[in-house]
Amino acid sequence: MSFLTFDAASMPIRDDIVEALPQVWAQIGEPGTWLTAEVRVAVAAESRHARHCALCAERKETLSPYSVQGKHDSLGMLPAEKVEVVHRVMTDSGRIVEHWFQAMCDSGVPETEYVEMIGVIACTVGIDTFCRGIGIEPPRLPEPQPGEPSGKRVPEDQLNRDLAFAPTIRPEIDGPLQNEFFPGGPPTAAHIRRALTSVPDTQRQFWLMVNTLYMNGLQMRDFSTEYRAITHAQIELVAGRVSAINQCVY
Amino acid sequence: MALLRASGEHAGENYDLSAVLGDSGRDTGIPDADVLIRLAEAVVGYDTDEIAAARQAVLDRMGAAALVDAAAVAANFNAIDRVADSIGIPLEEEKALHSEEFREELGINGFGKMTVNVASERHSS
Repeated sequence: MSFLTFDAASMPIRDDIVEALPQVWAQIGEPGTWLTAEVRVAVAAESRHARHCALCAERKETLSPYSVQGKHDSLGMLPAEKVEVVHRVMTDSGRIVEHWFQAMCDSGVPETEYVEMIGVIACTVGIDTFCRGIGIEPPRLPEPQPGEPSGKRVPEDQLNRDLAFAPTIRPEIDGPLQNEFFPGGPPTAAHIRRALTSVPDTQRQFWLMVNTLYMNGLQMRDFSTEYRAITHAQIELVAGRVSAINQCVY
Repeated sequence: MALLRASGEHAGENYDLSAVLGDSGRDTGIPDADVLIRLAEAVVGYDTDEIAAARQAVLDRMGAAALVDAAAVAANFNAIDRVADSIGIPLEEEKALHSEEFREELGINGFGKMTVNVASERHSS
């Protein structure tokens, strides 16, 4: 069961959104690959809380955000290092650097948990932003469901450790995950489509949301057909403006 | 940005890409760019009055289906930007080559080192 519905919306919402986003939201409350359901829901809650943090506000204003030390204003549901991850991603993601990622891993957030946390944060941000956009309240947090994380690890020989800070699946290998995530083969494996692949269920959850809110890869580059109520140019204008505000070069 | 330029090339239009960096959008060459930019800026923030005003502007000009799709795209990129930057994926070599000129021209290479002007600040001034 999902606490996300669009019943309160004052306008018709596309059927695929009505179907997909409640699934994505409910999955936040389920045990993940490396995180328990309680931790996943706590990450979502902290994501919403981060904008109220004084330390993050101070860091945002400075030219050297890694020089400002202090304690985050947090909900107290997560250990300090996980709070640091959530707050940095929420409030200043455009200035994240590799040495910070390594410091997080060294301080007790394994890269597997880090990638899963990024997925939870991103799905929370995406759904909350969409709700604000259409004029409904962001949904209640999911109730954590019982169960243990699956711990299903992608074999090391499937991972590329040179592309990004975090490992990603190597698209050039012929394997079931590659066939699922890059059905068009390595040339279609855009870096963003590789980003969360080291935790496959996180990848699946995130791309269910992305393919619904945006377009799939084929639609994205098919300029001869308009798939949405706004044109490709209008879509990319909105995308570009949001990315500029977030200082995202990618 | 690369897709926006490609979209313009396909349509035979030369869109003014500087709109994504904070211009009002009125001179982009893209229909209704001004209300779409206002919505994009509003929904990544938390000013409920501005969000409501921006939403109504899109509704009045473009209709409900356009508002839903514009809100969906803004939401998507507010999420996907965080994934890209947190995982540290680089721009693909091919995309980097194709976008080299306008990234330099528009100052995109300086992202992460500066604060981007927000057009909504002009709406309230």
